[in-house]
Amino acid sequence: MAAARGGFGLGRPGWRAKADVVRTVFVARLKIIARYKGAIFMESLIPIVFAAMPVLLGTTVAAQAGRDPGTVFCETLLRASPTCTTNYKLYMLIGAATFSVVSLMLWLIGYWVRREQETGTLESLYLAPARRFWVLAGVTAYAFVRAMVAFVLAILLGSLLFQVNPFERGIPLALLFLAIGFLPLWGLSFLFGAFILKIKEADSVIQVLQWVLAFLMGVFYPITLLPPILRATAGLFPPTVVTDGVRASLLDIGFFYGSAYGSLAVLFAMAIVMPLLGYEVFELTERRLKRREGVGQY
Amino acid sequence: MEPIIRVDHISKTFITKERGKARKRKGKRTVHALKDVSVDVLAGENFGLLGPNGAGKTTLIKCLTTLLLPTAGTAWVNGYNVQQDEDRVRASLGCMLMGDRGLYWKLTGRENLDYFGALYHVPRDVRRKRVDELIELLKLGEFADRTVETYSSGQKMLLAFAKALVNDAPILFFDEPTVTMDVPTARELRRIVRSLNKDQGKTIVYTTHLMHEAEELCDRVAIIDRGEIIALGSPNDLKASLVREDVVHLEGILPGPTVDRLRAIPGVRNVVAQAESGGRTTLAVLCDNSRLQLPRIIEAATGNGASLEYIKPQEVTLEDVFIARTGRSLAIDTREVVAAEGKGGGGG
Repeated sequence: MAAARGGFGLGRPGWRAKADVVRTVFVARLKIIARYKGAIFMESLIPIVFAAMPVLLGTTVAAQAGRDPGTVFCETLLRASPTCTTNYKLYMLIGAATFSVVSLMLWLIGYWVRREQETGTLESLYLAPARRFWVLAGVTAYAFVRAMVAFVLAILLGSLLFQVNPFERGIPLALLFLAIGFLPLWGLSFLFGAFILKIKEADSVIQVLQWVLAFLMGVFYPITLLPPILRATAGLFPPTVVTDGVRASLLDIGFFYGSAYGSLAVLFAMAIVMPLLGYEVFELTERRLKRREGVGQY
Repeated sequence: MEPIIRVDHISKTFITKERGKARKRKGKRTVHALKDVSVDVLAGENFGLLGPNGAGKTTLIKCLTTLLLPTAGTAWVNGYNVQQDEDRVRASLGCMLMGDRGLYWKLTGRENLDYFGALYHVPRDVRRKRVDELIELLKLGEFADRTVETYSSGQKMLLAFAKALVNDAPILFFDEPTVTMDVPTARELRRIVRSLNKDQGKTIVYTTHLMHEAEELCDRVAIIDRGEIIALGSPNDLKASLVREDVVHLEGILPGPTVDRLRAIPGVRNVVAQAESGGRTTLAVLCDNSRLQLPRIIEAATGNGASLEYIKPQEVTLEDVFIARTGRSLAIDTREVVAAEGKGGGGG
């Protein structure tokens, strides 16, 4: 026989309460990052430094051969692309900036799980009636804003530094790729978060996967250069489609799936499948952990 | 009175990995943290869970607050099943389970309370008022607008306590809330806990290994050890159930017939004169149970020329109850005992 049913105190569940959870989590996370002075600015510098490495290497190698680096870039790395660009600096900068957006989004849930486990706040969150989905929606909204600010700052500062113009074409299309690509990244992030929840370690896994990710998504080269099996694998990986889409939009160099519509359609399909799959796996892992040692154990 | 929490034959087993130095010691060990525990907590009751570290108190609380799923059995909290209606169970609770952990150190105290208020679905305008009330109630005003990273341990504990009250839930779980507090703050917190129970009718489940807290606060106490409830009842009943020789020291003018009257009381085993000075006598009354026999002892030691000036019973404590049932002190960690015996038992 169950015990008698009573009230819930001041709690008033409903849609307004769910929206309030998303807003509160979003604002709290922004406040926290703002209190680490200079964090977002420093984050924006990472892709610039990251892009500077191949830019400087390419410039040096081409100069030693007495050739124009843009032409060398076009003839070697982009030889399989239907159209070419000599703007190798912007190519690298876009690759590195998109990579940093992808990194922020992809490791988002995993890092969140780990950080909250370590500070003890994960159990506090699991004690509250707010569903994880809404809490994570708030965390994700924050990560999206943070990633976009870092992306825009990196492109602006990097363009000034490398003396390139990112505004020549395709900005709305590039933003569309980022916006739609955000959803499959979110789904992948749940899968990774479930893995971290289970193994209770994030840093070493991220260190390894970060480079696999950079390799597969073609940060500094088009994936058309990869051998067929790797190329096919990379083409099914959402971050690759996002990078390819953003770069092709801004540089007009041809899309991996033939056209902008083709790439957007693939990305859209991924945007439906990945979050559903990711959240399902995350919930299954949570349930399994509750049967064992609990989610707060670290 | 209706039970507001019903625990129905809950068991919880953990599989833990042994990590010994020697290769042969490595392996898996089954720990029975809870063994077929059944108990009801009544609405409006202040219910204590008393036991040493590793006895299974926290595991039981984690099952009741949906943080862990039981291996067998089930429970209802506020009428909702902990496995099937998790959200409603959580909405019925206010919890302080991890001491000063579970707070965001880069947020202020006020921001933390607002944050968790939102997670408990407290509407914004109500929340603002509630946070102000709690800051006043717990005297957090001095530091509520500083980030938590600057707080002392006691201040963090107070904030964690306030967090448990933010949704004004009908059922409150406190897991050793006074553990890092100084004496005056702990006393004040116990006063608030008492007031929440007596004045606001909250049902409280209070975990502690401090017997004086359990005695002071709880209407009923479950003594838990090795995952089993070994005693359950009001602190007075539990103590009264212990058949043991108590000593009551009496001082005053206590002539010979008084001693005879005292000896005639059923349950009094002996009366020993300890000292005499200036017409005053000190007597030691040895009895089965001082709590039960004290009214009759006082009656016998007053009147008929006797005058009682001072009385000092040496009472049975809940610790004595625990020792009588287990042969161990509350201060000894159950996990150490279990490990020494090489058996599974005790959770945390």
